[in-house]
Amino acid sequence: MLPAIRLLSLGLFALQQPEADPWGFDDVQSVETWGDILRPQALDLILLSIFIAFALVSFSRKSVRLKYITLAMAVGYMGFYKSYLISIVNIFAIVDWNWPILKYNLTWYLFAGFTLASTLVWGRLYCGRICAFGALTQLMDAVLPKHWRIDVPKGIERRAAWIKYGLLTAVVGYYIVTRNTMVYRFVEPFWMFGLSEKMVMWFGLGTLLLATVFVRNLYCRFACPVGASLGLISAVTTLRPIKRWSECKTCKICEKACEWGAIRGPQIVKSECVRCDDCERIYEDEQKCVHWIIITRRPEVERRAAARARRLAAPTAPAAS
Amino acid sequence: MKKLAAIAILLAATSLVVLAADRIFTNPKPDAHLKKLFPNAVAFSKLEGNPLHFTAYAVDPQSNPSAPPLGFAFWTTDMVPLEHGYHGPIHILVGMDLTGVLTGVEVDYDSEPYGYFSVEPPEFAAQFKGKSIRDAYRVGGDVDAVSRASLSVNSAARAIRDSSRMVARALLNPEAVKR
Repeated sequence: MLPAIRLLSLGLFALQQPEADPWGFDDVQSVETWGDILRPQALDLILLSIFIAFALVSFSRKSVRLKYITLAMAVGYMGFYKSYLISIVNIFAIVDWNWPILKYNLTWYLFAGFTLASTLVWGRLYCGRICAFGALTQLMDAVLPKHWRIDVPKGIERRAAWIKYGLLTAVVGYYIVTRNTMVYRFVEPFWMFGLSEKMVMWFGLGTLLLATVFVRNLYCRFACPVGASLGLISAVTTLRPIKRWSECKTCKICEKACEWGAIRGPQIVKSECVRCDDCERIYEDEQKCVHWIIITRRPEVERRAAARARRLAAPTAPAAS
Repeated sequence: MKKLAAIAILLAATSLVVLAADRIFTNPKPDAHLKKLFPNAVAFSKLEGNPLHFTAYAVDPQSNPSAPPLGFAFWTTDMVPLEHGYHGPIHILVGMDLTGVLTGVEVDYDSEPYGYFSVEPPEFAAQFKGKSIRDAYRVGGDVDAVSRASLSVNSAARAIRDSSRMVARALLNPEAVKR
């Protein structure tokens, strides 16, 4: 009986006063709380959320002004300040399942998650207004004089769009064999926002940007392997595609207006469309879109047609009798 | 059936190439790194023990087995294998003396896209020399932040901090470590 009590009391003593940790490191033995994890990441999370919200508002309003503000934010904040860009390295990460640690990199996961989710819902929205490089070339396009621009013939444009899929296959194949992540620098210019590269690389980038002066969004349309990957996803999954009128079968206004070569006759090529809103703005414009013109002018057109029919019918009637 | 076998062989061959090319293994001969971490050492043990470590000796342990070692060296990838940067673990060899002060760190291998301006430059490794295991290792505080590469730098700093504390708990005498 007595030894049992003694054992019990010893056990209680041990429970009440655990052996003091001789090390007392600030973090290791204390359990990490959500506060510890979130505090250092809070600012980045909030700023990224604001940017995403802004991008989505500009998209849902189809506003030109808000879109350009979003593009400027993409270049400044997402590009030069944070260097948040989806890269071919993230495609490599799918190959060997190598991802950053979730709890320490919530901002990155919010960014990557938004990119994937928005691609599933709307298509290559990321390319059109989140990607800092795409935003940069679109801003260049808005600022530079229009008469400098060379419009690529449709046939060439259509074939050149395949280059990016070839490049994607080639670079992923190269990665699987060599496991050299650094190859990313030679297939995408996103390192420019890191601002640390050799002279020769900047020269290459200069050449690319100079070419972009004349052929707008050259890299995004023809070469970008990330765009190709998102294009592959959007070609099969886009849940909320752009609507089309039945008149789109014959009307060519949107096809001509599309800067991305993403409209072919009645169809929107989902893998090329970056949801820039240009065609959707026409689509909603009652002065420009044939669908609306037909509806608003139908009474007048019908009156004229009736008048013409009457005019035509009048002289022939006596002759027949 | 033949088709299936061909596919199986192809898959096996690819995975072999993948395994061979992938840097999932630790540098098997880090002699040059060890010499840099402990320039005064005359001998190093093999990578052994629990947790895995090299022991650095000031006098040959063959002639004088009772002489205390200079310190220990260990791979962050052995201590905290789950610590990942932007693209996989960063392989860092850490040297620590018996008082819990880092004698240096050597970044041996990384596959970080922005590693070339964050964890690879010698300035990154240099700032850990002389740090105590009791320091905070907070990026932006006692470890320099590198803008646009914070993910890589954070991971490397965490790996160095956590693995040296792990080794200290196992191999060092807490009395010898200065508060």
